[in-house]
Formats: sequence, C-alpha cells, structure tokens
Amino acid sequence: MPVLRFILQRVVQAILVTLVVTLFVAFAIRLTGDPAVMLAGDSSGVTEQDLARFREALGLNDPFLVQYWGFVKSLVTLDFGQSFFRGSVRDLIGGALPATLLLAAASMAVSVCISIPLGIHSALHKGGISDQLIRVLSLVGLSFPNFWLGIMLVLLFAIAFPILPASGFQSWSALILPATTIGIILTATNVRLVRTQMLETLSAQYVMVARAKGLSEWTVIYKHALRNAAISIVTFLGLQFGNLIGGLVIIELVFNWPGMGTLSIDAISQRDYPLLQATVSILAIMIVAVNLAVDLIYGLIDPRIRVA
Amino acid sequence: MKSISAPPTRNALRLALLASVLGAAVPGASLAETVLTVAQRSDPQNLDPIDTFKISWGAIGSNVFEGLVFRGEDLELQPGLATSWEFLDEDRRIRFHLREGVEFQDGEPFDAAAVKYTFDRLLGEQGEKGPQRSNYTSIKEVVVVDDRTVDFLMNRPDPVLLTKLAGYGAMIVPPDYIEKVGEEAFDMKPIGTGPFRVEEYTPGVGVKLVKSDSYWNGAAKVDAVNIRFIPEDATRMAELQSGGVDIALDIPKPSVDTIRKSRNLELVSVDGPTVSLTRFNTQSGITADPRVRRAIAHAIDTNAIIQSLLGGMASPIASAQGAKSFGNDPDLAPYAYDPELAKTLLAEAGVAPGTEISLDYPSNDNTFREVSQVMAAYLGMVGLNLSVHPYEYNVYYNDILPNGKTGALYYYAWGGWTFDFDNTAYLLYHSGERQNAYISDPTLDALLEQQRDTYDQQVRLTALQGVADYVYEHTLDLPLYNEATLYAVNKRVGGFVPAPDNRLRYMNVTVQ
Repeated sequence: MPVLRFILQRVVQAILVTLVVTLFVAFAIRLTGDPAVMLAGDSSGVTEQDLARFREALGLNDPFLVQYWGFVKSLVTLDFGQSFFRGSVRDLIGGALPATLLLAAASMAVSVCISIPLGIHSALHKGGISDQLIRVLSLVGLSFPNFWLGIMLVLLFAIAFPILPASGFQSWSALILPATTIGIILTATNVRLVRTQMLETLSAQYVMVARAKGLSEWTVIYKHALRNAAISIVTFLGLQFGNLIGGLVIIELVFNWPGMGTLSIDAISQRDYPLLQATVSILAIMIVAVNLAVDLIYGLIDPRIRVA
Repeated sequence: MKSISAPPTRNALRLALLASVLGAAVPGASLAETVLTVAQRSDPQNLDPIDTFKISWGAIGSNVFEGLVFRGEDLELQPGLATSWEFLDEDRRIRFHLREGVEFQDGEPFDAAAVKYTFDRLLGEQGEKGPQRSNYTSIKEVVVVDDRTVDFLMNRPDPVLLTKLAGYGAMIVPPDYIEKVGEEAFDMKPIGTGPFRVEEYTPGVGVKLVKSDSYWNGAAKVDAVNIRFIPEDATRMAELQSGGVDIALDIPKPSVDTIRKSRNLELVSVDGPTVSLTRFNTQSGITADPRVRRAIAHAIDTNAIIQSLLGGMASPIASAQGAKSFGNDPDLAPYAYDPELAKTLLAEAGVAPGTEISLDYPSNDNTFREVSQVMAAYLGMVGLNLSVHPYEYNVYYNDILPNGKTGALYYYAWGGWTFDFDNTAYLLYHSGERQNAYISDPTLDALLEQQRDTYDQQVRLTALQGVADYVYEHTLDLPLYNEATLYAVNKRVGGFVPAPDNRLRYMNVTVQ
C-alpha cells in the first residue's frame, strides 16, 4: 500500500524532526543560564548550598542526556512532566494551545474572507484601477511589521474609540483585534496568490470551452475556475497555517493573548526547561503535521503526486 | 502526540471548554457584583508564600494571607495574627500571643498549631525547595505553649525578623487544607486568613480573588478582584486608557505624562524600595583607583537625569537606600555635580583624555538604557569614553555579574521590601555574597555582622549608617536614584492607598 508507506514515512520523519528540534532547544537553553538562580531570586543570604539544593530538586545535576531522555519519555507518555516553577506542563499547555489554535483559525478565516473575493475581483478586472489599487494595498500590507499594525488597531479601536478590548481573552470580542491584525497581514500575501491562480485558471482551455458553451459568467467563475484554482490555494493556506503558528508569538505578546507564544516566552525568560521543551516540541509537531496533512490531501486529489 | 494528530475532535472539545470557561468569567453574568480589575506586569507563577520572592506575589498574596505581624502602607509594624509579643530568656525566645476568633477561608480555625505547622513547613523539607527559607534560618524551632501562645526559639538574634514575619514566607498557612489537597494544589489555589480567597488562578492570565465572608476584621468593599497579568508595557497602558482595568501597577516612565493628562486617570506616586546604582569594578582597571571612581561620581548630574528622564518620579540618594529605609543617614548628601573637580581627579590619577571604559546593564531595563546614554554624554565631557553593553537579564545576573565579568561600571537595582538597609547592604557589600564580585573589606564585614547580632536598634542604626558612610567615603558605588513606586488609578476607584512596597491591599478599595 503506497499510501500507508507514504504516511508511515512522513510520521517517522515528523518524529525525527521533533527530536532534533527539541535536542537543539534543550542544549541551547542550558547554555544561557541557571534556573536555580531564577528560583533563588536576588535575596541576600542565598548561599551556594541553597543553589545546589535547588539544582538537586530540579534534577539539574543529572547528565544532560539523562535529563533529555526524561523529557522524551514525558513527551511519549503525553504527561510532559512538571514545569520548574508552575505545576504541570500538560495543564499549562492545555490552557494555552486551544487559545493559539483559536486565534490562528480566526486569523485564517479573516484572511480567507477578505482575500478570496478581492483576489477574484482583481483577476477579473486585471489591469483596471481596482486591480492596481488592490495590488498596491497588498504590497503595503506586506511591508507592515505585524506588531505595529496591532498597536495601531489598539490605539484606534480600544483607546480612541473604545469599542473593543485592548488585550487578553476575557470575552469573545477580544478575539477581533488580534485576529484582524494577523488576518490583514496574511491577506496581503493571499490576495496575490488568489489573483495569480485565478488568472492562470481563467486562461485555461476548459474555461474558454465553458464560456463558448454559453454558461453564465457566475457558473464559469465559481463552478469551474475557482474550484480548480482552489487546489493550490488550499495547499498554500495549509502551509501558511503551519508558519502562522510560529509567527503568532509577537502578536500574542502585543495582545496579551494567553497562548503558546506567551507561554514559550515566559518559559525562555524563566529558564523553565521542561516547559520550553514541551512548547517548542508541540509547535514543531504541529507544523510537521500540517505539512503532512497538506501532502496527504494533495496526494488524494492528484494520485500522481503520491507516486513521486 | 496523539492529542496533536487528532485535532478535529479533541481540540474542538477543548475550544468549547475554553469558551465556556471564559464565557463564565465575563462580568456580565454578575450584575450586582462589584469587581475591581487590576493589571500587573508579572505572574508570580506560584501562589504558595514559601515558593516565591516576587513582588508580583506581594500584590496578590497580601490580600489572601496574613502574618503574625502586620505592616501596612505606613511601614509601621502592628499586631497582625498575633496581638502582642515579648522577648524572653535574654532574647533567645520570642513569645507570641495569638488573636482569637480567626478562621482560614475554608473555616479551619487559626491557632498555635497552624503557626507551628507554617514554620515547620518553611524550615523543613517543603521549604528546602523554595527561596524563602534562607530568610528564616535564625529560627531554631517554634514551640506550641497553648492554643493561643507560641514561642519562637532563636538560633541567633534576628533584628529584621519581626518585619519579615509581616510578609512573604512567614504568612500563616492552614495545616488541614494543605494535608487534604496536597502541595501542588496549594500552589494554585491556596487559602489564608486574609480578606480575599483565591477563586481561580490561570497561569499567565490572571487571578480572580473573591471576598471572604469569614474575615475577622470586617468585610472587603468589593465582591471580587480580577488581577490580570499583562507583561507588555504598551498593552498594559492601552488597557488602562481604554478603561479595561481600574488600577495598573508597574507604570513605565514614558507613560507618566499620558496618565497625568488623561481625564479619567490619576497617577499616584509613593517613595519606593527600589534603588538604582552603578557599581564599580574596584579590583582592576582604572576604577580600582578611588580617585577615578570619585571623578566619575562628580561627573554625572543625577538631578538632571531624575528631572529629565524620570519625569521627577525619583529621589536623589547618597547610599543604596531611600529615605524610608531603616539605616538611612539623612546627613549624607549625594556627590555634587562638579565636572571640573572630576577632570582634576582624573588628571591626578593619570587617566588620559579619551580613555575607554564600559558600562554593563540588563537589557530589559528600558529606563536605564536612556540613563546610560546620558551618563555616556556626561562622562564624555570629562574625557572618558563610555561604551554601554546591554545583556539579557538572566545572563547578566547569572553570569556577568556574579562572576566578575563586568566592565568598569555596571548597573544594579535592588528593591528590598523590608525597607531595612541590612537587606540591601549585606547583599551588596559583605564578602562572598553572590552578587558582590569585587568588594571584600573587613571593615564592612564587621559592621554588617555587628548589626545582625543585636535587637538594639540604636546600635544597628549606627552600624548601618557606618556602612553607608564608608561606602560613600571610598566611592565603592555611585548611587543614582530611588525610584518612586507608581500606580495609575481610574477615577471611578475610591479608597486606594498606594503601598511603597507594592504589597497592595484591596480590602478598602471601592469601584463605582
């Protein structure tokens, strides 16, 4: 069964990627500071014995590979172990991961809702004023640093006209500003993608045939052209979702969004090895998994890809 | 990995769960309830009083817990859970008489057994894993005399003990509750005798406190306090300006003007515990020469820095302590700004104009980043070419500073909540202290130890002032300023009393 072998191959690949990434992270963070010192704080009277005691309690005296093996075991058994400072890693991630996924999904939704109609419009009016305007705006969108856009939206909709919460996730309306920020940034790329794909499809022979048959313009565009263009658009959006997860970190900080980005930054600043290793692993696994899913969908749609 | 590769069902469930939890936390559900919303920069990460040293804990824990001694916003020690205390057996025993009719928030009675349990836990196995124990090693044992009386047997005198009993590690905890729920659950949902109980703690997000009906000293004026952790300065200020929070802590200096100009907000300032100083490498390089150190001290106009960069929200200091600190010497004046004297001293020390020196600091301190640039300009005017090097916070405090890898100058900020110079001075000047890489001086060691050996406050004051004078005389440090503790408060809030040490109490605060 080639499909099964393909899946198996990719799963093994995913595991290897995760191990390499976490091994690197585990090694790198240990070069940058001692969690025992973080635990001790700045108190006077903290002695070297106190620090040694903390290191023992945190398991930092074990050789690196022993510590790493403990982490791998905790990953396999899905219990993720204990954070150095704040309880069970699984509980922390259980709180943060849904928030990140929700924000990512909402951002994608915002982007899809804007970019598909705009992209189609642009393609249909190629060279016209609206097409040029959309292309210029998307270039402007691409050039914005996303945190800047986020801060501008906060200034506008939370301070100047206080209709939306500035930060946090106390209510559903708090989702609007961060999702819009990321959505707009993604839209800038996606509009161009939709436009190019539509242009390519519209010039294909079957579209001309459909038109020649006298089908309505609506049927030609939405039933024939868009469906075919959709394959590559969906693929691209899938890949983008993977990258998006990693890219959410800054926006989570700006909006104090209680997600994986905020959790990872906390873990880095605290030198909380178990928590950081777990968050990074999960983000890595998610990106690999989305890639795998895209490959599979692609393979299912077009059997030639599987064989390759 | 299973939970990741099965997103359609499990994550949908989690999202639904998250939605319902968050939905429940939306204020709309509680029309008659008054909720005070507070934003602070950091999450204490653990609510157990013995597992933390963080100021961020103080602003939460001071509402949930109480100690035998109480120290409010005026910094005076008062009876807390103990109504009185006496020193016995030539100060080797301190006897506390405990308050009647006090209960923990779950109804468990407060008594001598709870006090003993608290300190056995702090000094025993559980305390071993936390940072607070080192503050209480002067206590040998706590002995129950009767239900309402305990004796503290001392290993050695500890003049700061009573102050310490008013905060952090010494907060009284409930034995039955901890035994019942376990240590881990206590970290997240602790119980004390204070006016608020912890309803929910969501790491990285916030803590919800709810008024405790059984509080012995009256009832809080608001039903609940919603404390949110917002690490980004800009975001915290945006929430404040948009009315999303009633009180904001950790006000960044650049926001001071915006808050002052706002119609809805009020800036409240009080002398804080935090002192900022630049320290010198006194062992090698040109700053080993006291004349060079003194020259640098005279070359920098700290008053101008306070007025221009800190918006006046700080006081000049002459030693590493503010005016409220025990041990402060009001007669000691900061080094005068005198660039001509600085040039003369540098010439005497044989330092050629254009000599390079460097200053290190932790990169998370945005205020000091600006201060350091101004310092470079001042030093440039007397012929020293200062380069500044920011380091990541942990690298700076874990490696650069304790291992003596700093430049000729390096930054240090310290905010001992006890407001007792012992706390700061011992850390900065006693030989062998972890964050004191360069100073090892028998005179200072003797003075510091002398004031730790006695309860006689006059002896202590003399010794601590002696430390400050000695450090000043030898220019071991360049004290810069004592930062004010700033709070921004929405005008719909009433009864807010600023706490110099950030240990805010929300008991008497109201919201309209």
